[in-house]
Order: sequence, then structure tokens, then C-alpha cells
Amino acid sequence: MSGAGLQPPVAPVAPDRSRPPAPGGESRVPMPEFDRFSTSSGVPVFIAPRSGVPLVELELLLDAGGERNPVHLPGLSAMTASMIDEGTARRTGPELSAELERRGGTLSCYADWNAARLSLRLLASDLEYGLALLAELLQEPAFPIHELDRLRQQTLAELRRRSDQPAAVADEAFAHHLFAGTNFAHPLAGTPQALAAMTRDELLAFHRAHYRPERGAITVAGDFDRAQLAAAIEAVFPASAAVARDAPTTMPAPPGEPAAPGDGASDGSLRVVVVDRPGAEQTELRVGHPGVPRRHPDRVALGVLNTLLGGKFTSRINLNLRERNGFTYGASSRFVDRKTRGPFVVSAAVTTAATGQAAQEVLGELRRIRDEPVSPAELDQTRNYLLGVFPYGLQTIEGLSARLDEIALYGLPLDTPARYLAEVAAIRPEDLARLARAHLRPDEALVVAVGPAEELTKQLRDIAEPELWQPARAL
Amino acid sequence: MVLHRDTTLPLVAVNLWYHVGSKNEVPGRTGFAHLFEHMLFQGSEHVGTNDHFRYLQEVGGVANGSTWYDRTNYYETLPSRHLELALWLESDRMGYLLPGLTAEKLENQRQVVMNERRQRVDNQPYGRAMERLFELLFPAGHPYRWPVIGHMADIEAATLDDVRDFFSTYYGPGNAVLSLAGDFETETALAAVERWFGGLPASAPVPLVRAPLPPLSQAQRDTITDRVQLRRLYFAFRTEPFGTSGWWTAAVTANLLADGKSSPLVHDLVIDRQLAQDVSAYVYPTEEVGVFLLVATARPGVEIERLEAGIRAHLDRLAAPTSACTPEALAALDNELGRARRRTLAGIYSELQTLDHRADLLSQYTTLFDAPELAFREAEAYERVDAEAIRAFAATRLGAANTALLVVEPEGGRS
Repeated sequence: MSGAGLQPPVAPVAPDRSRPPAPGGESRVPMPEFDRFSTSSGVPVFIAPRSGVPLVELELLLDAGGERNPVHLPGLSAMTASMIDEGTARRTGPELSAELERRGGTLSCYADWNAARLSLRLLASDLEYGLALLAELLQEPAFPIHELDRLRQQTLAELRRRSDQPAAVADEAFAHHLFAGTNFAHPLAGTPQALAAMTRDELLAFHRAHYRPERGAITVAGDFDRAQLAAAIEAVFPASAAVARDAPTTMPAPPGEPAAPGDGASDGSLRVVVVDRPGAEQTELRVGHPGVPRRHPDRVALGVLNTLLGGKFTSRINLNLRERNGFTYGASSRFVDRKTRGPFVVSAAVTTAATGQAAQEVLGELRRIRDEPVSPAELDQTRNYLLGVFPYGLQTIEGLSARLDEIALYGLPLDTPARYLAEVAAIRPEDLARLARAHLRPDEALVVAVGPAEELTKQLRDIAEPELWQPARAL
Repeated sequence: MVLHRDTTLPLVAVNLWYHVGSKNEVPGRTGFAHLFEHMLFQGSEHVGTNDHFRYLQEVGGVANGSTWYDRTNYYETLPSRHLELALWLESDRMGYLLPGLTAEKLENQRQVVMNERRQRVDNQPYGRAMERLFELLFPAGHPYRWPVIGHMADIEAATLDDVRDFFSTYYGPGNAVLSLAGDFETETALAAVERWFGGLPASAPVPLVRAPLPPLSQAQRDTITDRVQLRRLYFAFRTEPFGTSGWWTAAVTANLLADGKSSPLVHDLVIDRQLAQDVSAYVYPTEEVGVFLLVATARPGVEIERLEAGIRAHLDRLAAPTSACTPEALAALDNELGRARRRTLAGIYSELQTLDHRADLLSQYTTLFDAPELAFREAEAYERVDAEAIRAFAATRLGAANTALLVVEPEGGRS
């Protein structure tokens, strides 16, 4: 026995193994201390102080995500974000990264569907340096043409590589059919055609229109002094910076709700899409339909429903497909959060010969949770899981930063964590029945399967006549 | 066992290392340690088939296990008031697994593991490369030669008797380390561990596997094809085992070479000359022989020989004796070393934030060195690595003759 040199008690009494031991007394979970203020230039700043580890996470969030792409230029948002740290008016990209990395820092600049993110992890002593760097990247990017050409080639190669990955192909096929006619139908990184055509001027215009910190937010989590932070932000984001650029006075209208199967734009029936991967050892399966925007009033409660259905190891879908049937190494479902309606999707890699059965089992689970009441005991298991795992995400600065980002991005109240816990605690079985009927639509679902097409067509014909589809090949 | 108290949040991490992994298998019976890990989640005498996860999840616990060449670990993080639940579950499967075993459970998990192998290896681009690379790096019969997940035919052949024998040989208290990290009262936790584990019978000593190897003395090389569009190059080298100063030197060298955009390999090959789509270097913390890996994906149209020569030049540069270096080259190496150390330090701080990582480190250092205190002194080990050590490491371990090299070419010769 190692450690504090303690003596074990003598002659332990044999424990009762026949049932789980009783828990100890309740203990209180400390809520994270989130706060916000604004700079004089109107940039919202969200903070989560945490001492003990000498690190700080800084993030600049901008309303410049993939949803802002012009219809003819998928990938413009992602490319603009990637180019932000490839050089500024003061320094080349390599000079920037050498200086940052010499200090032990890590910077990633990227866009998802909701936002562009300039995300920086630093030793706490480098806070002021980090804020100045973010301001420089935001206000003075140079978009060097040779770096654009390099990233263009690299992204084109990345699209080729992704087409080798069956899971990525399944996700692409799913989005393509679910969100046809919207930005969300294309890969976030863009299409080969759009990437080939993208110009530096288009990046500059996108930057001018959308990289406006007063419409985004700065989030800071970790070990910092609040007064020092406020002064440092004020120094690098002065009031003059917000209005200095000749940005258009009106922002583009937010993208509309995606048209999709079961969403009023289709005949609302089941649809099956097969992507051929000849000789594949396994089939990547997706089943789903559009879900809800993050700000939908049912979103938290839907998280409880989804956890029970497919959001944990002991969920219905995983126990069915993995533990009862051995079709897969793992199956899960989720509601993907976006400002607009993200997908609800069930994902699994399954034995090809059992694909039809696996898809039917998934649809069966969606029907069962709509048609049959959930027992109070099953709800309690899920509720207690969610309440119990909650503090897990509070252990790290990264975890605090992620919660803060969500609040900043979707305009949620600062006490979102406490509200979340209260709402999860209050859900009743009859709420789940209402939610399942309102938000799960198994008979309007899209089924996507990537694997040997001939076999899959046979397997899935009972659900709907399969359509064959191939993603556009990279150049 | 090791206790580490931290009452910041009402959570506790429970972590068990069993000192058994795929190196304890034999050719023809591979993948067994991992399949066995799956069986440990299928219930025991007092715990029903799917109840291990159910009990933990319904109180808000997060649980899993993993298998590696040298060890198998099982872990859960849960609200601290439920600590005894975890101890009950872990002690029941340590002491009372066999009464719960059935052929049906084995068959179900065999199918799950075969699907795991398909998902992670066979249906993954480049998925079989590591298996082939390790066949080049390790000679026939060496226990790191076969993949942890095992070969498909061996997984299919495993029997219930194999499961029973494996359990009796390797899963006794004498071959395990238990670590708790988090919110508990020390005396209470110690008493609880004694209550649940104290009555389990002591186990016989486990057969020892010892398989040290010197560096390769003759280069090994092969090319395979896969359903991919971009060529890829794998370099592998044998290093000193995990925990030695030579291993820490290898770890710093990996970060020095390829961690971050300003690292020499990324800067030169990805950004400047654009020969590579990506490049990464890392080490395996293996107990018998350490492994240093360097992986680079070629840009479309780039010949593999050019990429290989580009990487080789960087390895040779590191190995050049001080007397042969210009003052600029010496200063550049010092800069690179400073960057690698600082980024490594930030990474260590970040990882140490979670209780589950701390508990796993405590189990690791206790299992391998009977020295849990080393868990929180990794930063010091990295700090001790200097430019001279890196030079000596590169010269003796990363030479052309020490290299196992694998090329993955697209099927049908595209790209």
C-alpha cells in the first residue's frame, strides 16, 4: 500500500454483495461563476475565473460561421477563418506562429456552422500578449495570396482524403439530402468547385462584412485577474475600432429554416439513400431528420429524451443494436445544436448483412418511444445520469470555456447551468411522451447507408426504394 | 493502492490497472486481452449482464476500460457519495467474475469486438498500416508484433475456457493497482477499500514477460496498398522503455520535430515546400521497448521518395555532432527545444486538471515503478532533457539503419 502510511482497519466485516451499497450524504455542486461585461466599443466579454492551473483560454467568437456563406461559395467562411492567422499587416504567418509557440501557446482559427472562432490557449502569464494577438488577427489580417493558394490546395486534398472515410461520406450524404437547397447541404470546408474559384477579394469582403466583434463575443476562462483583463481588453479593442471599417450597414438576413423531408417541403415519407463503397467490411448507417434550433424551448428536455433513447451507453438504441444484437461496436443518437435547425441523427457502423435489420430496429425504437409511455424508473435513471455527470465538465478550463461559449453564441442567460439542472430535475414521464410525438418522426426519416450498394439495396428495400448517390469528386 | 485527495468538486475517480495486455498473448491467440476486457462489463456473480454500466450511469457515473500492450485499465468517475458503488462493482468482478460467465455473453461480445475491429481497422483508410509497420519493427515472436485488438481469425476462435484461464491467471488482486482521486475522507475511503477488496483471496504470481530489444540494425521497408487517395509514409524506431531518460528524450524529440506550425517538420514539409498534407511525431509509453513514430501524408502528386528524403534530412540534422554545427544551427536547436518544453508543459498542466487522468497516472506509475509520486513529476522529467541528449538520441536511435519504414500507396496507383 502506498501513500500516507495509514493503517488499514483490522478484521473487516464481510460486506453484503447482494445489492448495491447505499450512497453517502448529498453534497452540493458549486455552480460555475460566469459573468459578463462590455467594452466601451460594445464588445461583450464573458468570463469564467478558475485559479489553480496557470492556464487561460481566450476565444473570439464572430457571427461569421458557415451559415453566412454566399450560396455560390460553400467553404468561404471556413477558408476566411483558416486564413486569419496566416499573416497580418505586421507579421508573416510563420513569424506569428513561431512567437506564439515559443511561449507554449496553441491557436486555432476555424469556423463551424454557427460562428468563426479564434481560440487561444496560453500560460496565464501571457494573457495580455494573447489579447493583443487576437486583436491583431481580427483587425489586420493580410490574407497573403500565396498562403491562400497553399490552403486551397491543402483543403482540396483534405476533401479527397475525406472521401476515403466511410463515416465522413455518410455524414456528407446525410446533410446533402436532409438540407438540400441550403448552405447546410454542402461540406463546411466547401466543394471542389467553390474552392477552386474562391478569390482573395471574396475573403476580404467576407471579413469586412462579418468579422465584427461587437456582434460576437470574447470569452475568457481560467486563471486571470478581472481588473487586469478588463484593462487589457479595453487597450486592444478601443472604441474607435468597432466603427472604423467600411462595413455594410446591414447584415445579410439570417438563413431561413432548411427545407427537408418531413419539414413541410416533402411528401413526408421515409427515404433511403445508398452510397456505394464496393467491398467495404462494414456499413455506415445514419437515420434522422431535422431537429430543433438550440434556442427552442424544448431543447433541454429533448436532451433528456435523447439521452434515454440514444445518448448514453445504457440507452435503448445502444443496448438494442450492440448488447442485444451485436450488430455494432456502438450506436448513438443526438440533436445537433445550431442557431437554425440542426439534424437529429442516429449513427452506427453495422455489420453489412444486418443493415436492414439494424435500420428497422432504429426506426422501431423511435416509434416505441412515441407510442409507449416511458416508465418513471427509466426516466429517473436518465435524469440521475445527467444530473450526476454535470460537474464532470466543470473540472477543466476547457469545459468552462465550452459552456461559456454556448451562452455567448446562443444568447443564453448566465445562469444557464442552474436552469439546466432545475429543468432536468423537473421533467415528468408525460413530458417525454409529448416531446417524442412532437420531435421524433420515424415515418419521415432519411436513412443513409455507405457500403456495398448491391447488398444494401436488397437490405433496405423494405423501408423505401433506395436511391444511389455519390458525392462530387474532388478535382 | 493509491489515494489522492482533491475536494474541489464532489467527484471521485476510481481507476484499476491490471498488469496484463496483448503482450501476454501468444501468436495464434491474439486479441484475447481486449476481448476479455469486454467480458468484464458483462456482469459478475452479484451484478447482472448489463448492470455494470446501468448502476454507474444511473448515479451519474462515467465509465470505461481500455486495453494496451502492457496493461488493461478500468475506470469510472462518479459523484463522490457513490464511491462504494464503484468499489462494490470493481471488487465483484475481480473476485466473483466466473459465476456470471456464459457462452451467450461471449458470443455477443465477440460480435461487438469484430465490429469494433471493422470500424477501427478494416474499414478505416490506412487502418491496417500500423499492423504491418509493427511487423517490420518487431521480430517474429516478439510480444509487440501483433495488434492489441488481435487478428479476426483469433477473435473468432476464442473459447469460454480461454476466458476462465485468462481470468484465473491475470485478474487477481496481486496483479492490480487501485487508485482513487477526488473528494473523500482518507480514513473512510481506506476502510471502504478494505471492506470490499480485503476479503478477496491473494493471487499467485503472474508469469513475467520480458522482451527488451536494441535498435534495429538493418533498415526494414515495405509498401502496401489501401483504398485511399493520398500516399502515406510511416517511420518507426525502437527507443528505450517508458520511464527511462532515453524515453523522455524521445518524447521531447517528437514534440520538437512536429508539434505546432513552427516546428521544423510542419514548417518545412507542410507549409514551406508543401510536400506533405500533414506530419506528426509521437511516442508510445510501452514497457518493454519504447516506440517513436513519425507519420506523414503526401500531397497529391508528390513522390514518396521526396517526402522520405525531406524527413530523413531533419533526423540527420538532429544527429549531427556539435562540432559539425554552425552557431546558427545550435541556436536554432535551442529555440526548438524551448518551444517543445513549453508546449509540453502547457499540455501537462491541462491534462492534470481531470481526476480521471490523475488516477490513471497514479495507477500507471505504481504498476510500472511502484512510485506513484512520479505521476505528478512528469514536467521535471521533460525539463531534464537537453540538446546534447537529443543529439545522442537521434544519432543512436533515429539513423537510417534503425528505421522501419512503411509506404501506403493508393489501390490502382492513383494520386
